[in-house]
Formats: sequence, C-alpha cells, structure tokens
Amino acid sequence: MHSKKRICGLLLMGIALLSGCTTNVHVDHPFPEMVAQPRDLSAVLVMDHAFRHYEANPTDKDTIQLGPAQVSLLSKAFSGLFTRVDVVASKQQTYPEADLVIIPSVREVQLSSPSDSYLNVYEVWIKYNLDIETADGIPIDSWFLPAYGKTPSSYMMVRSRAIEDATIMALRDAGAKLMLDFFRIPALHGWLRQQLPAEVTP
Amino acid sequence: MCLFTAALICGCGSTTTIDDFRPTNKPIDISMDQKVAVLGRRDAGHFVTDREFIECIGRRMAKSKFLVMSESEFVDALYPWFEPRTAPKHLKRLKRIMQVPAVRQKVEAERISHLVWIEGEVESHGATGAMTCGFGPAGTGCFGYTAWDKNVMFEAVVWDLTDLAEEARIRVDSEGTSYVIGIVAPIPLLTPVEREACEGMGNQLLSYFSQEED
Repeated sequence: MHSKKRICGLLLMGIALLSGCTTNVHVDHPFPEMVAQPRDLSAVLVMDHAFRHYEANPTDKDTIQLGPAQVSLLSKAFSGLFTRVDVVASKQQTYPEADLVIIPSVREVQLSSPSDSYLNVYEVWIKYNLDIETADGIPIDSWFLPAYGKTPSSYMMVRSRAIEDATIMALRDAGAKLMLDFFRIPALHGWLRQQLPAEVTP
Repeated sequence: MCLFTAALICGCGSTTTIDDFRPTNKPIDISMDQKVAVLGRRDAGHFVTDREFIECIGRRMAKSKFLVMSESEFVDALYPWFEPRTAPKHLKRLKRIMQVPAVRQKVEAERISHLVWIEGEVESHGATGAMTCGFGPAGTGCFGYTAWDKNVMFEAVVWDLTDLAEEARIRVDSEGTSYVIGIVAPIPLLTPVEREACEGMGNQLLSYFSQEED
C-alpha cells in the first residue's frame, strides 16, 4: 500500500516535470489598423480552416497557436492595401468581380531562445507564402513573405510570454513588409499595369 | 570598518556627462495640446534600446505642460510606419513617409509635433572580487566582496514633424562602480547610472521646449 502511494507520487511528479518542459503559447493580441492609402481594388483573402487554426511547432517542446492572430493581422493589413477586402474560408466562396484572390499559407515557423543562441533575446521567424491569382483562377505569383520578431530582452521573462511577444513582433513585421513590398512584386506590378493602367503608380 | 564606510560612500557615486548640439538657441515652441512622442531605436542587430530607460524619459518629460505620447501609443497610431523594418533612420526617409497623405493626416489629427528618438545601451564589465555564500544547520551567510563597473551611453535626437528638421541632439554618458559586500548578509551598494542618465537627459530635453499657455 505504501509503495503504491510512492509510485503514484513519483508518476505524478514525473508528469508535472514533463509538462513543465513544454510551452504552449496562445497568441492573443489586438493589432492596430494600417495607416495607408488603399488602392481602388478589390481582393478576396482565402483563409481556410487549417490557416485559421494554425498551430506551429518550432521545436519539440514549443507550440504556438498562431491561427486567430494571423487571421486578424492579415485581414487588417490587406484592408490597408485594397479598398474592398472579403475574407472567405474557401476558394469556392470567391466572386468573379474581385480583382485579386490571395491565398496565404505558412511555410515554416522558427524559434530561437537564449539557450540556443546564447543571446539575451527570443527570436521568431514566420515564413508565409502568398498565392496570388485572378478571380478566374489564373496564377499571378507565389510570393514568399518572411517576417521576423524579437523580444527586447529575455531578462526575467517567462518563456511563454517571451515567445508570445516575439511572435507578435513577427506578425507586425509581416504587416509592415506587406505594406512596403506587396505592390512591388514584379509579376503583380506587371499584371496590374496590363489590367488596370490607371491603378499603377509610377 | 574604515573600508566598509569608504565603500558605502564611494559605492553610490557615478560620473555623468551630457553633451548636446542645437542649431539654434531659440526654444522649441509647443502648445499644451500638442504631443511629443518618445521612441527607442529597435533596428540594431542584437540589442534594442532599453525600454525602461525610454519609459523613464517619458515620465520625466510628462512633468511638462505639453502631452507626452508613449512609444506603444505612437507606433500603434502610425502602424506600420515605425516598425523596426520601416522606421526612418534619417530625415530624408521621414520626409518621404510624411508625404504619404494618410500618415500626414494621422500625425496632424493626433497633434504630434515632435519625435524624440533614443538609442543606446547599458554595459556591465570589469567584475572583481569574490563572494561565498553558504548555509548549514547553524545558519546562512555570505562573506566577501564583489564589484563591477557599469557604463551607460544614450543618444537622443529630436525631430520636428512640422518642419521635418532636426531640432537637437543630446548624448549622455554615465559610469559608476557597484559593490556587494557580504558580512553575513549581502549588502548591495548599487550605482544608479541609468537613473542619473535619465534625469540628465530628461531635464535637458525639457529645457528645450518653451511651453506656450493656450
């Protein structure tokens, strides 16, 4: 009886120790609206179930629930680029009047912590892929969108909080890169010049 | 005992130097409903300007009659133009950003008149001495002595968002030595280099603005 109790105690302690080594981060952060001059274009943003509930596993022990935050960020970011943005769950929900259909996906999420890099910061890289198509389904480009975020310092920071902060910075960086570079994508720029000459600024 | 007293006296001392440059001696006109935003540089490789120092400057400047905008308020209000990737490093880039009508309108709507960019870092080095702490059935205790030097260097640049010009540049250097003396209990004698640098830079910044009563 006594040894059974001891085994149970040891098992519980083992479980507690094991669960203590894993970090599950749920990114929950309100992103600001973009201060931008949207172009007079309409776009459909296709974010499917997998993207909306995306869970990144940058290491064996770390999980980042990225889905809702990346949906919020990309919806706001594209609203700063186009006058009309419709967010749908599948390609079947797009409409023929749309100028562009954009399908984002996550290629990879990487994490670097002080124990790996010997630096006093946590760093997160998110690598997105944006498939850009016409409303008829003709591909224009598949654009690689890398984003990077880091914490100011890891001093006295709880690991989960530090990973969340770095992820938020990486998402904000994705928004900044989108605004800077989206209309500079050569294939998209060329397509816009052909289709809508008035909409392309020099 | 003499050594202990000397350490107590010296331990809290630091040297702070403030250098500044302004193209003119005229005070910067700012009204009570206008805002000054205090921001830290975040674009450097593997260090970022200490957030606590920026908050400290913000708190000191909040003693003025004009409004002080925190870094997070400012970068959110003008997202994504002041993210590490997009933030202007020079006036030339700021001028280009301010040509975007949405940005200009937002700055005017928020009544932001000036930006204070802060860049710098705190370094600790030259640790000497040794301290041993132990515990046993009779009690716990630390014996020994350790000391280290701390250097602080920060630079602030003030930009006028209306004229799109640099108004001032301040550099503050502060250095001091901190000690921990172990006589049963560890007694820390920490030199407040960051606080002194913050006080010096904050007061200098405040002295530039003439605060017009509306």
